[in-house]
Amino acid sequence: MVVNPTFFPTSFDPHFKVFHELMPFKVQEILLVSSLYDAYIMEEDGSITTRLIHEYHGLNLSKAPKVTRVSTGEEALAALGTKKYDLVITMPYLAGMNAFNLGRQIKEASPTLPVVLLTHNLRSLFPLPPDLERRSIDDVYLWCCEDDLLMAIIKNVEDHANVDNDTAKAMVRVIIYVEDSPDYRSLFLPAIYREVVRQTQAVLDESINERHRLLRMRARPKILMAHSYEEALKLYETYKPFVFAVISDARFPQNGKVEGRAGERFLSLIRKEVPDLPLLMLSSEAENRRRAEEIPAVFIAKQSPEIHRELHHFFLTYLGFGDFVFRMPDGSPICSASNIVEFEWELTQVPDESLQYHALRNHFSNWMMARSEVRLARSLHRDFIGDINQIGAMRENIISKVRSLRRLRQQGVITVFNRNTYDSDINEFVKIGDGPIGGKARGLAFMWGCLQQPESDDSVLTRYRVCIPRSLVVSAQGFDDFVSQNNLFFTSEMSDEHIADLFLDATLPSWLRQELEAYIQLCSFPLSVRSSSLLEDGQFRPYAGLYSTYFLTNNHDNFDERLTQLEAAVKMVYASTWFESPQAFSRGVGSGGRDDSMAVIIQELVGTDYNGRWYPAVSGVAQSHNYYPVQDMQPSEGIAHIALGVGKTVVEGERNLRFSPAHPQQLIQFSTVEDILENCQRQLYALDMDNRDCLNRHNANLTRYDVQDVAEDLPVGLLASTYIPEEHRIRDVNMAGVKILTFAQILKHSLYPLGDILSELLTIGRAGMGSEVEIEFAVKLGKTLEESIFYLLQIRPMVTGGERADVGICDHEIEQSFIYSTQSLGHGRISSISDIIFVRPESFDPAATRDIAREIGEVNRRLQAEGRNHLLIGPGRWGTNDHWLGIPVQWSDISAVQAIVEVRSKLLRADPSQGSHFFQNITSLGIPYLTVDEKNGENGSNGDRIDWDWLFNFPAAHDGKWIRHLRLDYPLTIKCEGPESTGIILYREDLVQRTCTIGD
Amino acid sequence: MEKIVEMIQARDPEQREFHQAVDEVIESVKPVLDRNPEYRQQAVLERITEPERVVMFRVPWMADNGHVQVNRGFRVEMNSAIGPYKGGLRFHPSVNLGIIKFLAFEQVFKNSLTTLAMGGGKGGSDFDPKGKSDMEVMRFCQSFMAELYRHIGPNTDVPAGDIGVGAREIGYLFGMYKKLRNEFTGVLTGKSLNWGGSLIRPEATGYGVVYFAAEMLATRGETLENKTCLVSGSGNVAQFTTEKILELGGRVVTMSDSSGYIYDEGGIDRDKLKFIMELKNIRRGRISDYADVYPEAIYTPVDPALDYNPLWNHPADCAFPSATQNEINDKDATNLLANGVYLVSEGANMPSTPEAVDQFIDQQILYGPGKAANAGGVAVSGLEMAQNSMRLAWPREEVDSRLKHIMESIHRTCVDAGKSYGAEGNYVIGANIAGFIKVVDAMLDQGLV
Repeated sequence: MVVNPTFFPTSFDPHFKVFHELMPFKVQEILLVSSLYDAYIMEEDGSITTRLIHEYHGLNLSKAPKVTRVSTGEEALAALGTKKYDLVITMPYLAGMNAFNLGRQIKEASPTLPVVLLTHNLRSLFPLPPDLERRSIDDVYLWCCEDDLLMAIIKNVEDHANVDNDTAKAMVRVIIYVEDSPDYRSLFLPAIYREVVRQTQAVLDESINERHRLLRMRARPKILMAHSYEEALKLYETYKPFVFAVISDARFPQNGKVEGRAGERFLSLIRKEVPDLPLLMLSSEAENRRRAEEIPAVFIAKQSPEIHRELHHFFLTYLGFGDFVFRMPDGSPICSASNIVEFEWELTQVPDESLQYHALRNHFSNWMMARSEVRLARSLHRDFIGDINQIGAMRENIISKVRSLRRLRQQGVITVFNRNTYDSDINEFVKIGDGPIGGKARGLAFMWGCLQQPESDDSVLTRYRVCIPRSLVVSAQGFDDFVSQNNLFFTSEMSDEHIADLFLDATLPSWLRQELEAYIQLCSFPLSVRSSSLLEDGQFRPYAGLYSTYFLTNNHDNFDERLTQLEAAVKMVYASTWFESPQAFSRGVGSGGRDDSMAVIIQELVGTDYNGRWYPAVSGVAQSHNYYPVQDMQPSEGIAHIALGVGKTVVEGERNLRFSPAHPQQLIQFSTVEDILENCQRQLYALDMDNRDCLNRHNANLTRYDVQDVAEDLPVGLLASTYIPEEHRIRDVNMAGVKILTFAQILKHSLYPLGDILSELLTIGRAGMGSEVEIEFAVKLGKTLEESIFYLLQIRPMVTGGERADVGICDHEIEQSFIYSTQSLGHGRISSISDIIFVRPESFDPAATRDIAREIGEVNRRLQAEGRNHLLIGPGRWGTNDHWLGIPVQWSDISAVQAIVEVRSKLLRADPSQGSHFFQNITSLGIPYLTVDEKNGENGSNGDRIDWDWLFNFPAAHDGKWIRHLRLDYPLTIKCEGPESTGIILYREDLVQRTCTIGD
Repeated sequence: MEKIVEMIQARDPEQREFHQAVDEVIESVKPVLDRNPEYRQQAVLERITEPERVVMFRVPWMADNGHVQVNRGFRVEMNSAIGPYKGGLRFHPSVNLGIIKFLAFEQVFKNSLTTLAMGGGKGGSDFDPKGKSDMEVMRFCQSFMAELYRHIGPNTDVPAGDIGVGAREIGYLFGMYKKLRNEFTGVLTGKSLNWGGSLIRPEATGYGVVYFAAEMLATRGETLENKTCLVSGSGNVAQFTTEKILELGGRVVTMSDSSGYIYDEGGIDRDKLKFIMELKNIRRGRISDYADVYPEAIYTPVDPALDYNPLWNHPADCAFPSATQNEINDKDATNLLANGVYLVSEGANMPSTPEAVDQFIDQQILYGPGKAANAGGVAVSGLEMAQNSMRLAWPREEVDSRLKHIMESIHRTCVDAGKSYGAEGNYVIGANIAGFIKVVDAMLDQGLV
């Protein structure tokens, strides 16, 4: 089983929703009424229940019903009075009450409860007076201890009960079987059922997973029994549109009299109406063969020793269960297709005459019907495939329908990668190996499922294409086998470089290599290789972006080289599990040592080749909760960050554009021309398609370009505005001049509803995950902006921190604090920090931020070793990759941090970096983040304050060039009040007000 | 004179910015008032400190979310003695009557100094354009103009842009004015080029600073030819200052940004300037990149520990501070003088601290204060009005040549005023007095109105 059923709730099975609605009536409880003797005979080979379970299991059907046995009619009536039964099976001879009396009494109490008579011997019963049989007993069967008869009886009861519902809901097909003789009925009904079930299973599209196969069995043909001409005709008239085969005895009652040619009349009547409906006559009378051929209908002699084989042949040949044999009009075979993939391929190849021949006779439709492809079968009916004489158009019509079915089938389903059937255009999400697929892949699969079922018809998702990139997951088994087969052992002394070398030198498990080789043979687009750690992206343990991502052009002339690069990338992602940053983070969140297994996602890199550069027009991150709502924005409307090119720009906190999806026109960063010039994105990352030789360990193979240098690329032309220095004005057009990335065509002029799409996805994600979420996405340009495709790359939960107990901050406490912030994040109180690291404001130099990060890292490591946490205070955007905007610390540099203060500095005019992974980690761990305005309580400030004198007067444990480390002999108290966005850090613990009223 | 200040304070106690501006002007024109009893007799100070007209109005507009917003609009028409009111509109949440009055008051003298026929005014609103959509800005501008149009006109009051009012806002304002008045006239400056704007706007301040410097040198019979110049900054003003210096034969050896400065002893030639322009205007990179491309240059990062700016500590003849306020302090001034600099022409607003200015004046070097030297920007506004009234669009050369004439004229006015009040060669006194006298004389000519 590929998909964990508890993970994929029923409502997320968009394509299979219809199947859930089929077969609402299931026989669950059977009351068997048999004398001790009958019971003895019946149960000679084991209990009926056990045998039924075996039978069901053997045919891979759903849960077998439970059988309760009683000995007498009275017991039966008593049992029926205490419990609900779905079917009563009775033997004829019961002590004290015969089966017909019992049947009558049961029908009096429960007219719809089916009662079936099972007998060892027909002689004393048959023929029954018609009124007696119909009033009290629904059907009579001859019992020769075949288990499959019981199964057939049950299924037939269900079919009669469900036929109206199932035909209405899913146009489920109907086979009418006319037989008045209980002995033949008992012989053929099980045979027909067995054939239907097995054949249906055999031809279900193998690309769908096991659970879905079971579901789809519900759409197998219904078999409706008739005992007389009138009954048969009534069934035919009622279910005419759904009837796809009629199997008929030759001699049975018509007008109350057994007629030798009733079968012939019935079949002929149908043949007149439907020339190509498969008809089968079963008869023990040899002369009926000729009559059948005249109808024409297939004839099988009831006494034939080959009857099972002949029946099988009938199903295969006429009901579409066999291979599709393409023939010329003269009947000569050309080729055959055993599954839908082959079928689609052959459709492109066969001569026109053959295509026309089959189309005219509805063979395509029938063949699909047999595969429970109800809708497709209908759309392939000759009435719906266009003009049969316009063969070219008809061929395209059929192929495109088959193809879209295959694509649709795969949406929302992860299937096991199969080199023989894999088609990268169809199988969007496949996996290799057993075991878990990791947080990232799980989240993606979840959202993918959600995407198949938009909330409403007017949803933006119904009008714009939203999907996931073609993805392959290598399950955790790959990592586990890799580590164990290569005897890799983690020790904390190993440097990242050493680990990388070690992993690169090791060999991937042979099964994995073979599968990767097969996969890469089948895909020719650039790939991203990223982790899907079992720990990653889980709530409270975000691990976001701590593991590496590699990008491959996958276009080397030499196939071996392509494979080698892919293998190396997978190994490098594996190696990143043991790198310092994730390990430090693991320690930080208390998840212990290195037992972190990992799955890998190999994904199509969303983008287009623009003059040798591969990148998406837009990439970004969106969060369902906005920490900095300003003006009309609401926190719950979320926030998005976008950039041109590969998402590294946004994820790593470089210059990008921030907007609220609900207010895409309110761009705080872009308020004036000066703001726009200052804040607009200037560089982008793209995959250099000409650099196909190497896998670069450090920049993940991405190249940085100046936006101005790629001005001729289509996305720049479409998404950038132009600065006109003469007028000091930015025009939202593509003209000669300086390109300014404003995304105006999308955000301002609404040519593509990015904001609406993000809002809806965030809403779906939040509802689905039950928490605030963060998504990564990319948009690939279409021929026009409107035709662009939105790709969801990742989803993970984010934590807002609002769930902890309320913390009030009194005015008195504010006075007793050395730091007061009116823009703080987080909620709660911390009283366990005695160490402070702060960046010296007097010597701070934006050019030296990398040195500062290093110095912080050294002190952090010492504190980590001592098991101590710290408060970190410094200017600008923490954790940015653009070292001009702030101090570019990595997580490992501050892994012991428990609270952060960002001092707004004139030198670093950076907006808060919510799009960065770094920020996600901080907020997930509930680390308070206090922003203090640099005006520091002076005129015009917002009241924010930081007492530098106090910090400088305290003796330093480390007095470095850029930073000071203080060690207090008592713990600091930090209080953050989330709803008010205020935060304080008190001079001393005892200054906390034990009781206080807010605002006192 | 103290009485006037007291009176003003008593009348509008909350307008602190305005009080300060009045204080400063009175201080700087004291010798004029002392020498001209007529001015006192005619109460010119009382008259000049009271706006001719103040318009304050409601600006209702609708936000994208359908909510009605109400802002307050202002237009202070301060003085029209020498021409129609002229001055910018400012959209910023800090705007109030006191600030607009203060700005309008200063504008009167700035405009007067350009020697063009422009009176002084200022306007604006407490509307915050931050985060507003184009449509919201448009609706606001239209509502603002729906009242303002009654009070302005090409011969009455010609607003321009200021903080928060750029080409986009001028466009919306102009469009609404045109609709309401049904006439296409030069009622606003700062318009786009294809519907009435003027060329040379980005260049005006930088070019003007250099023209002013050239005029100062001419008083000593010198030119910029072969002069070594220190330029700070690398924005518009610095770039076009450098361009004009090169055109006039000078040699620029420094430029800077907030991260540090480069010193290129051989001089920043046209090609190198082109590189800087592309670096700053297009790539928006750091000036340090210059040293990577031209290794002969030395890049020095900002050192916050220093109490001086090392950029001003190189041997040179002229200095053109074009970066920011207070970038030349006392020590920098000492360094400049010690390195042989004898001309400072200010492109930035108040780049020299009062101590630095004192040193320049004490040492009698050629010091062109910003209010005179960087008047090129204001001057081009006047030229835009002129072109509009003539229904003409002058080519670059023509605007540039007129700008040069204006700067010469400003220079001459400053020199003359300084000379008449016994401060020959003191452009600070000259500029303060010249602007004032021209306005006051015109007021007297026109009687009590």
